[in-house]
Amino acid sequence: MNPLILAFETSCDETAVAVVRGAETLSNVLGSQVELHARFGGVVPEVAARAHVESIRSLTHQALNEAGIHPADLDGVAATAGPGLVGALLVGHSFAKATAWARQLPFVGIDHMEGHLMAPRLQFGDFEPPMVSLLASGGHSQIVHVDEWGEYQTLGSTIDDAAGEAFDKLARVMGLGFPGGPAIDRASDGGDPAAIVFPRALPDRPFDFSFSGLKTSVVTFIEKAQAAGELPSLADVAASVQEAIVDVLVAKTFNAVDETKAPVVGGGGGVLANRRLRHRFAEEADKRGVTLVIPDPILCTDNAAMIGVAAAHWLAAGRITDWTENVDPGLVLGQPLT
Amino acid sequence: MIEIPCPTEADTAAVARKLAATLRPGDLILLAGGLGVGKTLFTTGLAAGLGIEEQVLSPSFVLVRQYRSGFLPLVHVDVYRLRSANEFDDLEVLDLGADGVVVIEWGDALEGELPEDHLRIDFVVEEDGTRLLRLMPKGVWTERDLGLVA
Repeated sequence: MNPLILAFETSCDETAVAVVRGAETLSNVLGSQVELHARFGGVVPEVAARAHVESIRSLTHQALNEAGIHPADLDGVAATAGPGLVGALLVGHSFAKATAWARQLPFVGIDHMEGHLMAPRLQFGDFEPPMVSLLASGGHSQIVHVDEWGEYQTLGSTIDDAAGEAFDKLARVMGLGFPGGPAIDRASDGGDPAAIVFPRALPDRPFDFSFSGLKTSVVTFIEKAQAAGELPSLADVAASVQEAIVDVLVAKTFNAVDETKAPVVGGGGGVLANRRLRHRFAEEADKRGVTLVIPDPILCTDNAAMIGVAAAHWLAAGRITDWTENVDPGLVLGQPLT
Repeated sequence: MIEIPCPTEADTAAVARKLAATLRPGDLILLAGGLGVGKTLFTTGLAAGLGIEEQVLSPSFVLVRQYRSGFLPLVHVDVYRLRSANEFDDLEVLDLGADGVVVIEWGDALEGELPEDHLRIDFVVEEDGTRLLRLMPKGVWTERDLGLVA
């Protein structure tokens, strides 16, 4: 059974609506708020929630039209239940519930992180866990072992800044724009990743991340180099900063692959759109002969198709969310919705 | 004003732990200092001193994080990205933390807009790269005994 799902994702700053049939994307539309938030150098929760309200209806029509689907054909409606910004989550969740209620369809609330874990199925078909996955974005950095769909163990996570947050802050230090990940990715073109060796944190904790020491180290380096009039090119600094973040993400993820002997390695979250990271993942996966399932950047960043594919899986398995269930901004992967 | 030299990260965390023992519901602490100077590290120490079990993560991306597992709730805020006192009011941070402790990173930028009763802590980077914490009590905080913290 491949249920036809209308899915919503509004956990942060992208209003996303999609129609999927099983693991097949029929439409995947996005109302980006990046320009709106760029002025603040990051996402502002109240601004995000209001922007979701303004665009969700027209994006829903667009998603249904592009998919060529009439609401009467749907088998279910899904939305992100958490984690995320509470006001932002409530917009998509309430809209989806109301739509499902009005159409007498089952509603499925989905963990945003499970969406990222399942997103590769939209592109790589029905590969099976076990799998190790790196989930890295502005709000999260964790390494997850998928025993089977629904059974997730978080092997490690950040102890201070998320990887995407580190990119944002370090872009700020270098005078680059928001969001920091793409800005550093672009600025590092032609730069030497080995020009400056910044520290790699937590060598004694195989699966955990820390980026606050790197932040301090880059700030100190730039101040000293500026004072001495010996600041390397922006491309070299950006490439070296990027390498320090990417190196740690790659090393720890593949520590997990080696430790668990997982035959599949994947990833999701905005940081997985980074070109250097994708290149390094491909190299390391190739070296070990493990299957790499990192989808195209559009499916790594927040999107609703990933919520749809997860919902299709659970609806087919008979799991429906009760009408009384609400969003949970602090939802932890693998724990039941409260 | 009290100045406390903190040669290592452990020293910074230790000052925060000791400060935690003196805190009361409704306390407001502003942290001032540049990127990577140790503001979140300090808050991690403060949380440990409050008996909070969760890992304190940077609040920069989400602006506000709350911890309720300790003997006082902790509301941890980063206002670097906010442009106005109005945007700060929208977060309703002071209401969230009314029964606990509010720590605001980059709070110096909003000092004029915030309640007068607060403790401001400046993180100064010394020439050798070590930190000096400068505690500046305001309002009712001037009557607190901060001698134990140093």
